[in-house]
Amino acid sequence: MEAGEDFGPWLARQLKLADMTQTELALAVDVTRAAVSAWITGRATPRPEAIERIARALNTDLATVHTRTTDTQAGLPVGWYHRPGHADGGRELGNAAAFAFDADVSVLARETCQNSLDERLTANGQPVRVRYTLHELTGEDLARFREVIQWDDLYPHYEAVREQKQKVGRVVDAGLRDMYERDRLVLLRVDDYNAAGLTGDDYDDGRFAAVVRRQLDSHKSGSTAGGSYGLGKATLWATSRLGLVLINSTLSEPHEGRTERRLVGRLDLPWRRVNGEACAGPAWLGRPDPDSPGAGVARSWWADEETVESLHLTRESAEPGTSFLIVGAHDVASLAEETAVPDGDEGEDDDSIQRMHHRLVRALGKNFWAAMTGGGDRLPLLEASVRTLRNGVVVVPEERVDPTVAQPSRTRALKAFLDGTTVERLTETGQVAAVEVPLSLPVQGGGRTSFGEHRAVLLVTHAEDADGKPNRVVTMRGNRMTVRDTAVPGLPLVVNPFQAVLLAGTAAGPQAPFAAEAEEFLRAAEPPEHNKWGQTEELTLTYSTSAYRRINGLTRETNAAIKTLVARPKKGTKQGGGRLAPKLTIGSGKRRRLSAVSMPVLEELDAQVLEGGAWQVIGEIRIPPGGHEWRLVPVAKFDVRSGPRPTIEWAEVAGVNNCQVVDGVLRFSDGARSAAFRGVTDPTTHAVRASLSGLVVELRTGAGELS
Amino acid sequence: MKVFPYPRLRGTVSLRVDSARVKAPAQPREQLDSRARSVIERAVALGAAETEDWETAVLTVSATIPSKATDPTGPWSEVVVVAVLTDRTTNTRVTSTLARETEDGRDWCGELQVLRSDIHDRAVLTVQVIATVDGVPGRIVGEAAEDWIVDVRSDVPTREQSFDIKEVGFTKGPRWLQGFSEAPWIVNASGTVPTVHINTDFEGMADVLGAEGRGPEGLVNAMLVSQMAAEVWTAVFHSAIGDLEIEDDGTPLFPHGWQGEVLREMLPDVVPERTLEDALREVHRRRVGATGWTELQPRIQYAAMRRAEVPRVLSETVRGLDKLNREDEA
Repeated sequence: MEAGEDFGPWLARQLKLADMTQTELALAVDVTRAAVSAWITGRATPRPEAIERIARALNTDLATVHTRTTDTQAGLPVGWYHRPGHADGGRELGNAAAFAFDADVSVLARETCQNSLDERLTANGQPVRVRYTLHELTGEDLARFREVIQWDDLYPHYEAVREQKQKVGRVVDAGLRDMYERDRLVLLRVDDYNAAGLTGDDYDDGRFAAVVRRQLDSHKSGSTAGGSYGLGKATLWATSRLGLVLINSTLSEPHEGRTERRLVGRLDLPWRRVNGEACAGPAWLGRPDPDSPGAGVARSWWADEETVESLHLTRESAEPGTSFLIVGAHDVASLAEETAVPDGDEGEDDDSIQRMHHRLVRALGKNFWAAMTGGGDRLPLLEASVRTLRNGVVVVPEERVDPTVAQPSRTRALKAFLDGTTVERLTETGQVAAVEVPLSLPVQGGGRTSFGEHRAVLLVTHAEDADGKPNRVVTMRGNRMTVRDTAVPGLPLVVNPFQAVLLAGTAAGPQAPFAAEAEEFLRAAEPPEHNKWGQTEELTLTYSTSAYRRINGLTRETNAAIKTLVARPKKGTKQGGGRLAPKLTIGSGKRRRLSAVSMPVLEELDAQVLEGGAWQVIGEIRIPPGGHEWRLVPVAKFDVRSGPRPTIEWAEVAGVNNCQVVDGVLRFSDGARSAAFRGVTDPTTHAVRASLSGLVVELRTGAGELS
Repeated sequence: MKVFPYPRLRGTVSLRVDSARVKAPAQPREQLDSRARSVIERAVALGAAETEDWETAVLTVSATIPSKATDPTGPWSEVVVVAVLTDRTTNTRVTSTLARETEDGRDWCGELQVLRSDIHDRAVLTVQVIATVDGVPGRIVGEAAEDWIVDVRSDVPTREQSFDIKEVGFTKGPRWLQGFSEAPWIVNASGTVPTVHINTDFEGMADVLGAEGRGPEGLVNAMLVSQMAAEVWTAVFHSAIGDLEIEDDGTPLFPHGWQGEVLREMLPDVVPERTLEDALREVHRRRVGATGWTELQPRIQYAAMRRAEVPRVLSETVRGLDKLNREDEA
């Protein structure tokens, strides 16, 4: 028989959940207490008839006892636990970590993807797959979802927070109004696969506690990890207007003998008083823990498939990883900027799911093109996709984020590096040049002595239009996230547009000297925003107060190396004449535009070949103010590649609008700003048949106009 | 304004030179650094090659054309994209068919071979889209909006051209200069490139030309340089206008090379408020006609003066002198 968990530990937990002693079970099942104890310790297994009685005693069905893949429903049901107010009356009116970020899906994309990268299972060499699902619920589906998350219990808390005139109160208010007035709720789900999952105990050190229970705990797996502040996860809650995130995790290493469907919900609200009781802030959705005082604290539970489904938390496979469901997701930044997204079939509003979809795709491409690039024998570190649903129906189909679309030239550069196809100097478009740039590393613990010289890798290739601004250098370390994106200063104006990528630390490849040390050094120099390397407290504490200067050195070396690759060295004037030479140049493109031409100009020419082989043209003329006094002659010629053009005679020229023709000369009406004439050529004067050549029509001044 | 008796492509045709290499007999070919090409100036400087006496060069050309061209429902069939290199000085025209790169028919790529001896100094590279229209094969339906320059002499990829400046002693120099041994400089605008000959035998000439700064020497230098430049521009204008190709009906054509460039840059000042073509016709009419040529001279002088920045330099010199005087008094 397929069984989820060993019988002993499972039974022990069910007793605990049901608040039942071994003696009580022994009485109910009609065995000795020693027999129950033997089952729990695994020394014996119950006979089938005993299992039947156990099922009855635990108030569950036989199958649950046999399969043991979920907990029984015995004991206290899943519900919300709100942390009681502090005994000292202290109040926290918001989460500082969440305020550190904008509630913006592109920030969310950056932080969550980074966390998934950090938690990637590296042993199998496969990428971590991250999938974003935007799901809008309305009507029935919304009502059903509210029921499942026990909305009626939560609502008084939201009401209380809404009353407070604080930042969080206003956000919650907007979220509630969006839900009630427009009858919709946006769920944003972030799934990762081939990641560690939320392992570890509910309360003790481990990934689960770091994410669900604690603030600012950075529980990271490797030395190349992106985050080091534990701030990133706060963006999950910051993205929810309702401060509510539900979690389903499949663990990479079993906890309590299980891996699949570990569920928990966390609500982040400020201090509030509900029904006369003060709540400190956070609340958890889970099963009451009988070990906690008064069995009040909610802990994660192992849910059945049905519950997971109703919470919109079903994962596509048993591959380890975590799903975060952000309830009431919103996107502040999109309110400000944004152009229209490609033809949405319905009205786009500021918070529309289509718009959030496109912003997510763009943000992922922009920040993670490098992690999504593979080459040589190395697979990409990350695969990401976005899809959008409404009430379970696909609105925007799943879209895989393609780095070659988002950042074509930078992706080409990195791929060439991984493939080992870089060149030393650029000769052809499409090539990638690679050079080494030194970074001198300091010793830890202060002092000016150097520990060693790391060789970072600089890649330069020609820019494509899709990359955005050209002539920039993007900097990254082992996690392959863009840390800096800066313009290269002091370049000549005529340099061929390029993009450069600087790979430092472990990103520079396994053969780079002191890669691990450089990685550690640069990570210390990275602030929470992950947007530059420079002076940080950690850098000062671990190294010295002047350690950041070494990064300036790296920047200098990088810019110098780029210049040698792309800019021509300045050379002295080879010819004499001192300052005369620059005055004697032509064709520099600085040619003056004609200033205020007062002559009428031919603006539009409508021409066709008539049956007799003649050209008939209707010319529209624009006349500048005061230009009506010009006497102009329309002239027709055949177009030739070079040399003199054969002239064609007119058979007939006539004014159509605002002009008369006298002796072949146009006379414009007084004050006219536009005019039109009609002309038909004389085919006997054609050097070639009309259908074989282009026709040139010009307006020419009569003689003696210049005084 | 041009019209054609068949449908032409709308939208932009663009080209880019992706690489360049040169080859001399019995020597390995040399791949030129990407710095010998400028995407911004749209120029290739084959003179940047280190191989001396190279005889052939191969350019990789890629073109982007509107995808409408290859749309089977459109009016064009059997679409071909060719790279065309022309040098009007040597009357050379070299073409090469590009191959379709992408499914959507937008990107085309191919190589073009250039013989060093075919090109005097600069050739113009463009791309044409050829198709069969209404059963007529070989019609040009589109052409690149912006061409490239292939320069076989220069080592800097730029569209800018400089006149030549030669410093020589006139007394012992070429025979024709010996007659001018008392002149500080002579402008000769009759050769392939206008040349300023500076007489190093003229005492102090080298010092004044090399002077810099805001002192008296610097002021004299600025005045002298702008004076020389004005003379050069007057000379090149006359040289350029003096040798025009004329159509049947007497319309002058813009010359190619530096002459055309000089006329385009100066004509707006010589004959203001007119289109370039009309201004050229007017100047030509006066030069060959019975009247008006003498009256036009002040306008040519004015255009040359502006081009040489004489007014600006003179006011700066006056201010500089003023300042020097005040400093002397203080």
